[in-house]
Amino acid sequence: MNLEDLTRSSGEWLRGTGPESDIVMCSRIRLARNLADFPFTNRASRGEKSEIESTVKQAVERAGLDLTFFDVNSMNALDRQFLVERQLISRELASGEGPRGVVIGPQENMAVMVNEEDHLRIQVMHSGLSLHDVWESINRLDDRLEDQLAFAYSPQLGYLTACPTNVGTGIRVGVMLHLPALVQTKQIDKVFRALQKINLAVRGLYGEGTQASGDFYQISNQQTLGKSELELIRILTDVVPQVIQYERTARTALMNERRQHLHDQVSRAYGVLKTAHTISSEETMLLLSSVRMGINLGLIDDLEIATVNELFIQTQPAYLQKLQGTELGVEERNVARASYLRSRLSNANGRHPAESESD
Amino acid sequence: MTCQRCEEQATVHLTETVDGRRREVHLCADCARKAGVLPPESAAAAPGLDAVVQGLIVAHVGELVGELAGLTCPDCGLKFMEYRAGGRLGCPNDYQVFARGLLPLVQRAHGATRHVGKAARVRPAAADRLRLRSRLRLAVAREDYEEAARLRDSLRLKDADA
Repeated sequence: MNLEDLTRSSGEWLRGTGPESDIVMCSRIRLARNLADFPFTNRASRGEKSEIESTVKQAVERAGLDLTFFDVNSMNALDRQFLVERQLISRELASGEGPRGVVIGPQENMAVMVNEEDHLRIQVMHSGLSLHDVWESINRLDDRLEDQLAFAYSPQLGYLTACPTNVGTGIRVGVMLHLPALVQTKQIDKVFRALQKINLAVRGLYGEGTQASGDFYQISNQQTLGKSELELIRILTDVVPQVIQYERTARTALMNERRQHLHDQVSRAYGVLKTAHTISSEETMLLLSSVRMGINLGLIDDLEIATVNELFIQTQPAYLQKLQGTELGVEERNVARASYLRSRLSNANGRHPAESESD
Repeated sequence: MTCQRCEEQATVHLTETVDGRRREVHLCADCARKAGVLPPESAAAAPGLDAVVQGLIVAHVGELVGELAGLTCPDCGLKFMEYRAGGRLGCPNDYQVFARGLLPLVQRAHGATRHVGKAARVRPAAADRLRLRSRLRLAVAREDYEEAARLRDSLRLKDADA
């Protein structure tokens, strides 16, 4: 597997299947781990970072894991951005320095960042609301890595991390939700405040410090110490269905009270995406969000949800440039984006061009 | 306003709340110094901001901060104050070295100071290797290549064991 292979496929987590997948885009868990015998990344020398990297690569090999290593340090900025867009690495890893990388599993369900804030940031993502499957999968991966590696751990404080806000379980349990009706009915802030009161964080599509785009919001735990992994997962599995219920209620209200207006909005969004000749990333996200809700409400019936999910990622700047095989300025990107959207949305069901060819 | 202890002009005005009752104190510089509210004259004579702040911290928060501020991890060389400024620890051993300063912060962030959940396997040799690595770094820094080579060998041996 190489980066070019990635441009021809898309992550399993975009498939749009699994429980509650009309509202829940994906469930994700990440574990922070550090090697016990090295200083943390920010304090490690170049030589030590490269030792950490080779130790982890070796462990992955010895454990017989089907994961491919990508050297982020030697990558150009476009390729790094491409991995950020696909949620495989963080902005922090992309903009970091020195030896660092990521190992990626088939279907992009698994990724282990090496030399991010912590030596290892293990991530597993599945489509739909399926935190228990994700936990089983990441727990097994963690065990197999631990067979090969000595993790920094203390009986009192648990897994030791570079930042004490992650100490203990080192776990971040997150669910990415599509909440367009709560945004439109201006109830979203109320929901956020309620979540913050119970110590849950709310972030946008691209994590920390990014503005929510496409009406996607990630809800995740902040506490990592004093509660077990399963207890922390339970907080999310208790709370997320309530948020889903609010979103459904808001959608039903929109359908009952403003059906024509909503149908008009969704159809216009679809029309613009199908016919535009230049379009910005922001407008694309906004319109795709309407179309996604439209499909779920039965207002659009000739487009698959998986296609719309993919388009959120595949209309991002780096993907478009990888597809064109060249760097593009903003104007050129807007033209390329519109052209790509037209080609995907004119096909029946909007199937991925590469997939339709192989069918 | 005159000093509450002598007839001099009061220049230090303090308001403190004890058991819910507000109390105002007005003192001249000399009396304030005697009461320990102001740093001694020598420090006051050249009142660098650092010294004043340091004095206030020690007076109000106690010795702990002063003592913690100077604490350095023997393995990674990080000072507690550097952690407070940058927010990142330097190595796993910092949790032990800075325990007194860190635990209150951990308590505030998580509402707990004791881990519950998945337990890692115990690997006692790992801490030794961390120590060997820090000695190796120091040996390289002072250009003691003989010692560095020896340390590298023992690390290699330990790696083979692990």
